[in-house]
Amino acid sequence: MRTKIAVILACSGLCLAATVPVVAHHAFGAEFDPNLPLILTGPVTKVEWVNPHTWIHLEVTNEDGTKTTWMVEGGTPNTLLRRGVTKNSLLPGTVIVVDGYQSKDRSNRANGRDITFPDGRKLFMGSSGTGAPRDGSDKTEPSTSN
Amino acid sequence: MAYRIATTLSVLLLAVVCLTPAVAAPAVAADIPRTSDGHPDLSGTYDVATLTPLQRPSQFGDNLYLTREEAQAIEDAAHARTRSSSEASDPNREAPPEGGDGSAGAAGNVGGYNSFWIDRGDDTFEIDGKFRTSIIVDPANGRRPPLTEEARERSQARRRPRRANTGEAWWLETGGQGPYDDPELRPNGERCLLGFGSTAGPPMLPVLYNNVKTIVQTPDHVMILVEMVHDARIVRMNSEHPSSEIRKWLGDSIGWWEGDTLVVDTTNFSTKAVRGGSETLHVVERFTRVDKDTLTYEFTVEDPSRWATSWTGEYPWPATDTRLYEYACHEANYALGNILRGARVLEADTLDAGSGN
Repeated sequence: MRTKIAVILACSGLCLAATVPVVAHHAFGAEFDPNLPLILTGPVTKVEWVNPHTWIHLEVTNEDGTKTTWMVEGGTPNTLLRRGVTKNSLLPGTVIVVDGYQSKDRSNRANGRDITFPDGRKLFMGSSGTGAPRDGSDKTEPSTSN
Repeated sequence: MAYRIATTLSVLLLAVVCLTPAVAAPAVAADIPRTSDGHPDLSGTYDVATLTPLQRPSQFGDNLYLTREEAQAIEDAAHARTRSSSEASDPNREAPPEGGDGSAGAAGNVGGYNSFWIDRGDDTFEIDGKFRTSIIVDPANGRRPPLTEEARERSQARRRPRRANTGEAWWLETGGQGPYDDPELRPNGERCLLGFGSTAGPPMLPVLYNNVKTIVQTPDHVMILVEMVHDARIVRMNSEHPSSEIRKWLGDSIGWWEGDTLVVDTTNFSTKAVRGGSETLHVVERFTRVDKDTLTYEFTVEDPSRWATSWTGEYPWPATDTRLYEYACHEANYALGNILRGARVLEADTLDAGSGN
């Protein structure tokens, strides 16, 4: 059963990947190493709300207890701004989970292939209470950051 | 049986035709905003994102039009994909597979980023009340004409040094220039010199995100600000092109009015800027305000060194109340440094392995 789920997830990943357009600002395949997959969990320390790509910094606690700051590449902030997401929508301290691949230069940078909260919800997606930016219109929204 | 199916289809087709709302007549010229000199006022901000592709999917053949149901189905499928990609992931997921996740295109085997960063539009477009299968209307199959032999050879020659980073420093063995030897060898988009995907054109085409344009119009000039990499096209009205030695990244654009349509003629392209590199590219664009909220953008592209025939497309530019944000691409273009440093690390590893270290 577990295998089947994994296969389904892999398939859905491929199907979604097939819709990724062939042109973009730069080739992710040239920047990140397919042989260095990783999954990172930790609190956000900073969001660089910059062009051409947003970079989210998070602090990851390693197995030996040391901490490493990783930078994760997202898309352009322009799109998020139009959707009402601002740099205050992902506050420092918010724990996120990122899966992706490490940069080919082996610095602590990775692509944010999938960025979620620890319970799997996508950042910035869904309705109120599921990570969408708060605009104050939904009284059921939690008052603390996700 | 075949007859019955055909009859049923005919009835359905008739029903679709009858159910389709009457085509709205284009606004009469008097209804559109005008500048003090009497020409249509094209100024404003437009979001040109559309789900309708530039080139027609082959299953539609020479059919330029979609039924309303087909258009709705495309929109529903796009929205379903968005919903699906917005669903929660496995909270206990592991790292993606070693060796790559199979992504193609720009995502090159490592994936890109979540779909909330992407803005390709929410709907298909219609012109004169009819939905379209493609932006390209000529040739009849809705696709760019095949490349000429000369263009194919040129494209092959360009592709050789652009061989991808496969994880092996193959350029150390082939000698000569490698694709990551310096920033000048990287694509214009990656270097933040021009937006990718003909977003500034001409012709100006929809891309993955940042599809907003702002037009500023004066009697002497029309400026088109393109959000991606804030490319600004300056159109000189009632002017002439400079001599052919003068080459520009976005070409040299001159304009004039034909009735209520702004015609923009662009030549003198630089080979540095045009993908496929040709100085014989010639683009004619036609901007027509059809109502206070919509422009129709038409374009014809000809370049005898690339295509045996010209190709023409059209799509609407709906006005938007969104803001055009600065896209200061050089602000934090870490990717370029990462790519070049990644190649240096790979070279060092390869040389170390070769020397037995």
